Formats: sequence, C-alpha cells, structure tokens
Amino acid sequence: MDKTLISADRLSVGYGKRVIVNGIEFEVKQGEILTLIGPNGAGKSTVLKTIAGYLLRLDGTVVIDGEDTEKITEKEMAKRLSVVLTERISPELMTCREVVETGRYPYTGSFGLLTEKDRAVAENAIEKVSMQDYADVDFSSVSDGQRQRVMLARAICQEPEILILDEPTSYLDIHHKIQFLEILRSLAKEKQMAVILSMHELDFAEKISDYVLCIKGGKITLSGTPDKVFTAEKIMGLYDIPEKLYRKYFG
Amino acid sequence: MFTLLSVGVIAVLFANLFTGSADISVSDAVTAILGEENTASDILWKIRMPRALASLLLGGALSLSGYLLQTFFHNPIAGPFVLGVSSGAKLIVAISMIFSASFFGLLSSAFMIISAFVGSMISLGFVLLVSRKVRQMSMLVVCGVMIGYICSAVTDFLVTFADDSDIINLHDWSMGTFSGTSMDNVKVIFIFVLIGLVGTILISKPIGAYMLGESYAQNMGVNIKLLRALLIILSGLLSASVTAFAGPVSFVGIAVPHIIRVLFKTSKPLVMIPACFLGGSIFCMLCDMIARTVFAPTELSISTVTAIFGAPVVIVIMLNRKRGEING
Repeated sequence: MDKTLISADRLSVGYGKRVIVNGIEFEVKQGEILTLIGPNGAGKSTVLKTIAGYLLRLDGTVVIDGEDTEKITEKEMAKRLSVVLTERISPELMTCREVVETGRYPYTGSFGLLTEKDRAVAENAIEKVSMQDYADVDFSSVSDGQRQRVMLARAICQEPEILILDEPTSYLDIHHKIQFLEILRSLAKEKQMAVILSMHELDFAEKISDYVLCIKGGKITLSGTPDKVFTAEKIMGLYDIPEKLYRKYFG
Repeated sequence: MFTLLSVGVIAVLFANLFTGSADISVSDAVTAILGEENTASDILWKIRMPRALASLLLGGALSLSGYLLQTFFHNPIAGPFVLGVSSGAKLIVAISMIFSASFFGLLSSAFMIISAFVGSMISLGFVLLVSRKVRQMSMLVVCGVMIGYICSAVTDFLVTFADDSDIINLHDWSMGTFSGTSMDNVKVIFIFVLIGLVGTILISKPIGAYMLGESYAQNMGVNIKLLRALLIILSGLLSASVTAFAGPVSFVGIAVPHIIRVLFKTSKPLVMIPACFLGGSIFCMLCDMIARTVFAPTELSISTVTAIFGAPVVIVIMLNRKRGEING
C-alpha cells in the first residue's frame, strides 16, 4: 500500500484577505505526480507557495504525513519538503556543486560545514540530473536547462518526501523539457517522493502526471486522471480556446 | 591565503609603528616595545600603537559592515558610506556631542557608539523604506547618497554654529580621522567590534542560504525575518563603532569585500567573513599610514585616502555588472 504523503482539504489561498483560489482538495501518494494546469494568473503559483508554507493559508488544511503543516517547525519542514521556484537566482562565484550543496542546510551543524555523507548525497543528486561534467563550473555561466537541473539537484539534496516545482520547464527548449521531465519521473518513482508541479505544456502534463488539477476563476474546475481531464472540450473550456482554433492547432 | 592576510596585518601594523613624523629608528622602536621607557616608547605606546590598533579594528569592522549590507540588499555596491548610514551616525553623534558638551561635559566612548548606532539605524530605516519602492540597485544607492548628503549638511550646519571649545575636535572628527585615539578608546572599540565579529560568524550559515534568495532560504528552514534583523543590527553596530571614533570613512565597506571575493574566488560566508575583516584591517592601516606620512606634518583625512583607492573599485564593479547584463 502506498501511503499518502501530502493532502489538502477545503484549502483556500490568497494574499491577506483576498482569496485567490478556494476549495482545493487533493491527495498525493508516494511516487505520484500531481500537476496543476490552468490559464496565466489563475493562481497556480499562489497554491504552490501556500502548500510550501511561504504564504499563510486562508482556510482549510494541508497535511503532511498526518501532521498539519502549520504545526511543523521550519527546520523539520525543510527536511520534508523542497522547492524549485520560478525566481531566478544569481549567486556570485558559486559553482553548481556549491549551489546543490546548499540543499544540505537543514542537516548541517551551526556553521554549515559539510560532512562526508553530505558531500556524498550532493554528489548523488548531481549524478541524478547528469550534471557531473559541470559540477565545478560557475553557476552563472551554465545554460538555462542546466541551471534548472542544478536547482532540481539542490531540491533533492534536501532529501525531501515532497517536491514542489513551479513551472520548472517554462524556459527550456523541447529537448531540455523532455530531459527534465524524464529525470523528474524517474526520481518520483525511485525515491518514492510525492511531486506537485505546475506547467503550461499540456502535451507533457498529460504524459507525466498521475493526477491533474485544473484551476480557473478562483476554483478547481476539474480534477482527475489525465485521460479524464485531457479531452478536447475540457481543454477548450479551461483555456477559453474557440473550437475552430483548437482544431487548427491540436486537431 | 589566510596566512598571507594575517602576515599582512602584522607587517602593516609594524610598518605603522615604525613610520611617523617623529624619527624613531627601528632599534629604538624594538627596545621601546620590549618595555624600555623613553620618548620613543611614549610615542609608540601612547600615539602610534593605539592609532594603529584602532585602524586595524575599525578597518575590519567597516569592511564587515559593508559585506553584511551587500548580503542584505543582494547588491555589491551597498556599504555603510554610500547608503548614508555613516552620515546618519555622524549626525546623531554630532548632536549628542554638542548637547552633552553643554550639559554633562565630554561623552564617554560607549555613549558615542550608542549615539552612532541610533543614527545608523535611523538612516538605514530610510534606506529600507526606499528599497521597498525601488528594486534597482542604482536607485537604492542614489537614495543612500542623498540621505548621506542631507545628514552631512545638517551636521556641517551644527558644527559651524556650535563653535564651543568643548567640541573643538568635532570638525576634524566629522571629516574622518584615526588620530587622537587613546588606549582606553581601543579597549572599548575592541569590545564592540568583537561582539560584531563573533555575531557575524555565528550567522554565517543562514547568510550562505540567504545568498540564494529569500524564498530558497526560507525553504531551507531559515527564519528570514530574524536573519534580516540580525544583518541590519550587526552591520549597524560595526559601522557605528567606526563612525563614533573615526568619523565617516568612505568606500572601505565596498572595496574590500569586492577585492576579497576576487582574491579568494568564492563567496562562502565562512571564508568571506574573516577574510573581509583582515582585508579591511590591512586596507585601513595602509590608508592611515599614507594619510599621516605622505604630507607630514600635515595630515590628510582618512576618507581622502580610502576614496582614492576605494572609489575606482566601485567603478570597476559597476562596469563589470553592465557587461554581465549585456552578455547574460
């Protein structure tokens, strides 16, 4: 029996008093991938940030391992959940390896010195994303696709049970998109992690997800397995695409 | 690399002891250091030694304060001088000096530092308000410089009209100088700077995480609000110690951390913090030596010298940034 790692119930998210999306419900088991899709500005990032604990939720619950996330300490949370965000980082004079190693933060002592084990975990994470050849290159001089893989390695270096990614493939070309999602898929299986991500590439979302949530107009309009969600009518409705145009580009 | 810096600090310290307007031969100096009492030993122990030690400690403090502000703002040209922090401290110290001179006599060292700290916090408060509105690093610096000018103008105004014999040193001090430091001052400086240095080393781990941006740091379990508050308080404390004793000293806070980054080719906080401190010590002692010897017996203000060496570094950083933006 695969156990549920993270779930949400009647979750409502937003800033201050302004509700952006409400009535969010989901459940992600070990090794599963949940994908959020929906038009720009629908609130996918807000949902992800709330799940990760950056934003205070407005109502409802998020439960990790049977524990409400608001009761989990920051440090404990860091060991269970890690993120790949849309914001671009520009650390000065850090190699890719050093960026990955920052993922060990919750495990190191008060001065952040790395032990043999920490280094081994980081090395392993670098291998998982096939960045061995670039490990000692300055982070600011590698390509977008490579950066994104480094950020993924950093996230898995944190050894989380849950991985949250906000549009991780948006700036990548098709080769790198496929490569990135392949890595993600195999990681979820191999490490038995629960993965929640948002993306715009519907064709890929259909292939990689176990479960899909469609967000639009402040609520979940549709949820289910990819074969139920990815039908022409539903996608046209979600993104407000006229049928003629849909046929022209997808038909 | 660290050995090199430490040796550098000691070498420059001795160079400072052996140079000056009074001609003291190296052998005289050595016997004076070893404890023989004569004019040479008086000059060494009462004038040169405290001054050299003060510039050693304060130089390190200034450079570290700059490093902390750069970390806080994710901005390589932030520093206590360009952000107006030094000038704010100067203003409040001047006010305290004038008022206490007429009411209580001379100020104690600790009270000077506290006044300077209050001043630093007030101008940093303004800079923080501005930084919420503007994200561009150049605008932030422009605002800081403007705050600095306003504070300096008010200070000059006060100094001009408060022509009291008690504050005769105020004018020299407001230009920035290490002269007139006593061994007692050095003890107080040592305590404050030590607190600042140890505090900074203790938060080196979260600083490392903060370099990846606030969201990622938060994801690693860093308490962002606490860290930001500590960064501001520690950098304010360090630069306040400097301003209280030496007046505003320009550009050390930007130039030294940059040079250290280039030399060590890393930005790891655990390397940067001690290296910045030592580098700042060397830089300030050298500049002070130049300030008091080149046109002896006339002394230059320390900021004149640090600006000559420090400002070009800032220009280089700006140019590199621009190029980086175009290529990247």
